[in-house]
Amino acid sequence: MGYGTVSDEQPVVRLQQVTKVIGTRTIIDGLTLDIPRAEVLGFLGPNGSGKTTTIRMMVGLMRMTKGDVLIGGHSVRTEYEQAIRHVGAIVENPEMYKYLTGYQNLLHFSRMVPGITSQRIDEVVQLVGLKERIHDKVKTYSLGMRQRLGVAQAIMHKPSLLILDEPTNGLDPAGIRELRDYLRKLAKDEGIAVFVSSHLLSEMELMCDRVAIIQGGKLIDVRTVQSSAQLAETSGPVVFEVDRPDEAVELLAKHEAARVEEGALVRADRDTVALINAELVGAGIKVYGIRILNKSLEDQFLEMTGGGQLV
Amino acid sequence: MYNFLQLVRNENMKIYRRIGTWIMFGIILLIVVGVSILSKAFDEGGGSMWTVMNNIESFTYLLITIFTVVVSAESVAGEFSSGTIKLLLIRPWSRSKILLSKYIALLIFAILLSLLMLLSSFVLNLILFGYGDAKTASDALGVANGSGPFSYMMQVYVLDYLGLIMIVTLSFMLSTLFRSGGLAIGLSMFIYFFGLIASGLLSMLDYKWVDYLLFLHLNLKEYLSSKEIAHGMTMGFSLAVLAVYYIVFVGITWLVFNKRDVAT
Repeated sequence: MGYGTVSDEQPVVRLQQVTKVIGTRTIIDGLTLDIPRAEVLGFLGPNGSGKTTTIRMMVGLMRMTKGDVLIGGHSVRTEYEQAIRHVGAIVENPEMYKYLTGYQNLLHFSRMVPGITSQRIDEVVQLVGLKERIHDKVKTYSLGMRQRLGVAQAIMHKPSLLILDEPTNGLDPAGIRELRDYLRKLAKDEGIAVFVSSHLLSEMELMCDRVAIIQGGKLIDVRTVQSSAQLAETSGPVVFEVDRPDEAVELLAKHEAARVEEGALVRADRDTVALINAELVGAGIKVYGIRILNKSLEDQFLEMTGGGQLV
Repeated sequence: MYNFLQLVRNENMKIYRRIGTWIMFGIILLIVVGVSILSKAFDEGGGSMWTVMNNIESFTYLLITIFTVVVSAESVAGEFSSGTIKLLLIRPWSRSKILLSKYIALLIFAILLSLLMLLSSFVLNLILFGYGDAKTASDALGVANGSGPFSYMMQVYVLDYLGLIMIVTLSFMLSTLFRSGGLAIGLSMFIYFFGLIASGLLSMLDYKWVDYLLFLHLNLKEYLSSKEIAHGMTMGFSLAVLAVYYIVFVGITWLVFNKRDVAT
């Protein structure tokens, strides 16, 4: 049994016109989205935009009013047991049985899926770094440890889709970084699709390949997240922080440099940045810093959702 | 399909890994031991192992009912209030089967409590009083029943277990409906004790609908000493009424649990 036993060609998950109506209110409105293998897809939206409701429908905790979700080609509506077989998830907080130990919790969930050996349990315990405390009762765990136990139960059965709702809640910066690295590794090495919801935009930027933005129950955009390294391949705005900005602007006239508060602003690609730097240093100007000004996801997101409702 | 028994094992683990459960077993054992020893100490020659066993059964079974209702009420509602229901349901099992595993674990728990009381009171009083050699329950206990005393006691336990199943099923339904353990415990206990107290009064009412009330049929062991109880009702009639209630309780429980959106 390996990760990603779903065939390579089709997307691991297909959301097809997923709609949820409660009373007269349309909570989720015709959501359509594919998640391919080996991708970390962020699910971004202000509070109350329908992130958790969507996730609940994907894992069958809530019924869809219209539409369907196919996981590995199986409908969550009509073939729930086959569809959910290859899904690992944390929905909202990783709530565990507090009166049981961490190990007993994992044992509990391992019994519900065939083929999980005790070696596999030990392996995931090691992986999430809970080896020392796994035989303690969960009620003695910190939030971060519960979160890691939650991740352990989600990956224990080697799912081809991992769904994490606000996974960085309650984690310290080191924990967030660890989780981020681990999710990226799972996606790249094991080819599993990872679906992460969050309102921490900066987190998403670092973690995800693509980001789907939802507002008021509607999908308003799906975009690729570009890393700063990728941005630098093309020409973009770059600020040089220097000790004598005016001189620098003059020197860099051929690059159409402009004077900004911190120094000189030019449009340049990766190689040009290096050349300009050499020029400045050659002219005896001290360079304190070189900063690539990319519009962050946060700016884009605020622009799109009109800000305001953000936490 | 992989092993359904694993689900029952899980539910058992969630019952027996709690300290409260062992306190319940401890209390039952303590009462059996305490009452048996006191009965022996203050025995004025009229007591036998059968009378003490019968006395213990008649009031300790109330306690077993309360304990089982508490565990049953927590069974579904506890998963909702702790939020673990979400992790429990997103597994390759239908909701019906998950619910069934919980229900079976509860019936096992009720049997274990009953067995503990039956065996401990039998063995202990056999030691304290020696084997009671009365031929019939009528000789041993003064009840109008011609079976042997041991077989009579077994019938008492089986009939009380049937009544217990009804209350447990009711509490299980309320637990599923309200997702609140406290409410399920309170309501089932109210219905149970109200029934115990009011059934005597109610049976004096000369209306036909009274015959169909649940609580008039929970004390089935009355039929061991008379063929008919109030209103000329027979055992067969009581069992039929209980069967209808049972089907309704189970039907509602499974329907609601399967249909409900989990939004806690």
